[in-house]
Amino acid sequence: MKPYLDSLRRVCSVFWKLGRQARRTKFFFLFSQLPAGVALIFRLNVLFSGRASATGFYLFTNIIMFFYLQMIILVLALFYGTSVCSEEVEGRTLPYLTTRPLPKSAIVLGKYAAYTAIAAGMTALGLILSFLVLNFGDFSGRAALALARYLGVLVFGLVSYGALFTFLGSALKRSVFFGLLFSFGWENVIQYFPGSTQRLAIAHYLKSFLPAPPSGRFAFLTFRLEPTPPGLSLLILGLVTLACLALAGLVFSKKEYILED
Amino acid sequence: MTPVIAARNLAKWYGNVLGLSDVTLEIEPGVTGLLGPNGAGKSTFLKLLTGQIKPSIGEVSILGRPVRGDASLYSRIGFCPEQDAFYEEMTGREFVTSLLVLHRFSAAEAKSRAERALGIVDLLEDADRLIKAYSRGMRQRLKFAQAIAHDPEIIILDEPLNGLDPLGKRKLIRLVREFRDEGRTIIVSSHVLPEIEALTRTIVLIHQGKIFARGDVHEIRDLIDTHPHLVSIRCPEPRSLAARFLADDHVLKVDFGPDGRSLLVETNNRDLFFSRLGRLIVADAVEVEEITSPDDNLQAVFDYLVGK
Repeated sequence: MKPYLDSLRRVCSVFWKLGRQARRTKFFFLFSQLPAGVALIFRLNVLFSGRASATGFYLFTNIIMFFYLQMIILVLALFYGTSVCSEEVEGRTLPYLTTRPLPKSAIVLGKYAAYTAIAAGMTALGLILSFLVLNFGDFSGRAALALARYLGVLVFGLVSYGALFTFLGSALKRSVFFGLLFSFGWENVIQYFPGSTQRLAIAHYLKSFLPAPPSGRFAFLTFRLEPTPPGLSLLILGLVTLACLALAGLVFSKKEYILED
Repeated sequence: MTPVIAARNLAKWYGNVLGLSDVTLEIEPGVTGLLGPNGAGKSTFLKLLTGQIKPSIGEVSILGRPVRGDASLYSRIGFCPEQDAFYEEMTGREFVTSLLVLHRFSAAEAKSRAERALGIVDLLEDADRLIKAYSRGMRQRLKFAQAIAHDPEIIILDEPLNGLDPLGKRKLIRLVREFRDEGRTIIVSSHVLPEIEALTRTIVLIHQGKIFARGDVHEIRDLIDTHPHLVSIRCPEPRSLAARFLADDHVLKVDFGPDGRSLLVETNNRDLFFSRLGRLIVADAVEVEEITSPDDNLQAVFDYLVGK
């Protein structure tokens, strides 16, 4: 077990560095900070107009979280997750990794860990900035606790979606296309179905961690949500993540990737 | 004694396309040249040796152990792939150091080994530049550096001389010979006969997925030298020149080009033919504008050897 963990740590450290230097990380960094920009516009609007249609905390828990949970973490998990395997195949750099004394599954898991950490870092920074901008001068212990909770939900989201997309990237050639279908097709529709059907979406379990739904016209996040208990949600997300990572490792170890000239 | 590399009845199919067929081969320490035209199956063979793909039939072992499923073997193998592919946003130093970290070296050890490997291939001065700014020759040398940096016993080089300038080629050839003298096992693939000749005498000819011949490069050279060669000569008076060759035994056939300013000579003794042509140019002042050998390539040699 120790040599395996050592391999995983080594792959993770190499791709943590490489991933941060990558050009796409600069783009995704800006993308993940968009809600902070939106928050700033809200704040300036309130400052200059003197009219506040809602409190900063209300806007944060509804508008900003909606952006992150329904769009940003999906896009980040999709592009980082699918790239774990596909960038090596498309970039034809795979032989550099597969001819090292490392278990193949450790290559996938190490890259997944590095890329998830990068995406989580960007998301956390954007979320905290948005929170600070919207709640400037109005901090409370309750708000800080809520921030930690929302942050946890987004990290769980990145971990679960990232694992699923890593698996798709290892198994499918057009993984981004299928990932987009899943993210903005399946997930965006199924989570609003009544009854137990909504439990077929990862988003359902993530939203089950959110506090009791506040009423109001911006309560998009919890629209039609019939929450699953948090403990069960955590278990299901954990199982989905483990299953997807195990499958990704297995596929990567067994599959032959043909590098095209 | 167990051979360093052993392939038994190795075959590989890509769907309906044959990549390699029934290859049985044992490779001992020293340099072995894998020679064949593009698409012959050289890269497929090397990918099978390095466990990147699995054989459809047969087995391959390195140092008596099956390659696939034994990742620890890779600490004893250095592989230089054919593809011109890198992590472009890394510097040369980061690239080699990172790959050494994946070989379980400590950060300090990886750094010093990378420094040494980059020095060997004369890339130290450019080590801190991004790989995307490297020339083709520098990229080729960087690939070689990552293959030798962990000091492997077995070095597998897929078309390593591609894209190198003459100086770079000479340097790499010298390095391969040094590694050979240290008792390592080196496999080099190429589609260029003179390149392989410069590296080793032991060659394996591969063609259409099969091992076609194996042995000393000079035996193969002799075969090639008796292979009828075509020589195209461009000159103002092709008929006059053709008349001088007709009496020569080594000239099998003479054809005239459609433009009336060239002739195509088929000879079974290239050295004698060129010696005679040289004398004609110097002594008889025969005017010649251009001499080319349309079939002086490996594919033509293979076509001849397989009796096409």
